[in-house]
Amino acid sequence: MERQPFLRSLLGGWTGLFLIFLYSPMVVLAILSFQSGPEGGPQFPIEHWSIYWYRQLFDLVPPSRVAPLPVGAALFRSLTLAFSTMVVSTVLGTLTAQAFRRHFRGSGAVFYLVVLGMMVPGVLVGLGTALTANALSIERNWWSTVFLVHVVYTYPFAFLVMLAIFNRFDRSVEEAAWSLGVSPIQTFRRITFPLIFPGVLSAMLFAFTLSYDEFPRTLFASGGQLTLPLAIYGTFSVEIHPNVFAFGVLTTLFSFALLAVYATLMTLSSRRARRLAVQEDIA
Amino acid sequence: MTAAVQNATLADGPTAPAREFIRRQSLGGWMLLAPGVVWMLLCLVVPMLMMVYVSFWTQHTFSIESTPTFANWIAFFSTPTYVDSLLTTIRLWFITLALTFLIGYPVAVYIGLFVRNRTIQTSLLVLCVVPFWTSFLIRILAWRPMLGTEGAVNLILLKLGLISTPIEALLFTQYSVIVGMVQIYVVFMVGPVAFMVSRIDRSLIEAARDLGAGTTRIFFTIILPLSLPGIVVGAIFVSVMVLGEFATPAALSGSKVNLLGNIIVTQVGSLKWAFASVCGVILTVLMAVTVVGLLRIVNLRREI
Repeated sequence: MERQPFLRSLLGGWTGLFLIFLYSPMVVLAILSFQSGPEGGPQFPIEHWSIYWYRQLFDLVPPSRVAPLPVGAALFRSLTLAFSTMVVSTVLGTLTAQAFRRHFRGSGAVFYLVVLGMMVPGVLVGLGTALTANALSIERNWWSTVFLVHVVYTYPFAFLVMLAIFNRFDRSVEEAAWSLGVSPIQTFRRITFPLIFPGVLSAMLFAFTLSYDEFPRTLFASGGQLTLPLAIYGTFSVEIHPNVFAFGVLTTLFSFALLAVYATLMTLSSRRARRLAVQEDIA
Repeated sequence: MTAAVQNATLADGPTAPAREFIRRQSLGGWMLLAPGVVWMLLCLVVPMLMMVYVSFWTQHTFSIESTPTFANWIAFFSTPTYVDSLLTTIRLWFITLALTFLIGYPVAVYIGLFVRNRTIQTSLLVLCVVPFWTSFLIRILAWRPMLGTEGAVNLILLKLGLISTPIEALLFTQYSVIVGMVQIYVVFMVGPVAFMVSRIDRSLIEAARDLGAGTTRIFFTIILPLSLPGIVVGAIFVSVMVLGEFATPAALSGSKVNLLGNIIVTQVGSLKWAFASVCGVILTVLMAVTVVGLLRIVNLRREI
């Protein structure tokens, strides 16, 4: 089938169109973020190229009729939230996956309970959390209720990543350490953790980015203080200006930087693993 | 070294620390599970049950109280606006699901089956995922300068001479909502299907061809059935996300399209918590029926 040149080029062309469909809005957005300001609107033609809207994000231009995006404090909150969510959900995911290495009764129920966290739509979890918090007279805040539901969302991802890692993990290495009288804590630190480190890194990456960009859960579970996605949502109902586009370009670059850090750490860890393997061979 | 350890273990049984560890592990199994299970019960199961419970509470103008009543449910099904929004949700869900399949499936087959080179295959899949590194909300907003009257699409069509006046129906209609949702969710269909298709044993296709089967026959007897688990997983992803959607209509429909999610947001905004809960429960039921129904088609545990 894959040798049919006509079908092949047809599907290849379709895939090309698909990628254009996927990327064109982002490309247009990036181009329009260089619109002149403060008079230029969020559409073509570009009156003249400028970085006005980028400077506006950093308060480097005199005030105009376009209010700056309220991103400063929101950015700090989102980063703090994403970081704590990352730590907690990775720890929870690792613990649960560790428990799943042994067969136990009720493992199916626990599995589905955890996975439910990523399957139930954010609107519903958010609404339920808001109702529960109201009923218990708990004040809703980005660092309390929002944090709880973010972990509900990211912990299943961390769990699945760690489960996949543990499934490919050679138990005999750990057993050897125990047999040689190494304490369980030492074994975990010296043997288990280095082996699962790539998984931990991936789980952290998942958790951080999902929480950083999480919106529907946050909308209901938060109080008056906005996180970054909520600040962007605030611009939906009003007229949009190219400053949102400039902000979009910057956040994308930030995500790429994060990816680069992840890739670097991954490479370092696999290089280290290879070096250790070589040392063992020599020994 | 391993052999020596095995010998020692065989001779003496597990050593003291190992025995100690195994004992502690069977005790500690539930200790490892407890934090996660408790977290999910308190922060996921309790809130969902609370939502079901509150849907039977009495709604006053700006407050709710726990006197049980069916009033909210009756109000939902007797108000045309809300029933319409339920129907709109179902209709847009079907359209989006169909489009993600029609657009995504050929792409997945191309990536999974036609691209032989591993590196190119991975690069194509990475290209599909890269857009997720931009904020979801900004990706939706990006459709505004694309589809508006002075947007890129109209501009290009005008330049090409295909139209003489800009098409206004592109933005702030249900079409723009569908386009936005398809663009964001289609990747969830491409990924699982490409994964399943790439696992198809190529000699199976060769054999079928040697025995004289045509391309159509090969597709319907080999490729489609073997990619079905991928389609089901993709459909579950897309369904769950589209049913819970409200941001895309909020950004791209100019409040002309109201999905159940939008109704929930509006109701919460005016403190109609009990009523919002009714919409939430209806969404949950819709979703549960869909997921369970889709899982009936294939046994995922056996396939993976």
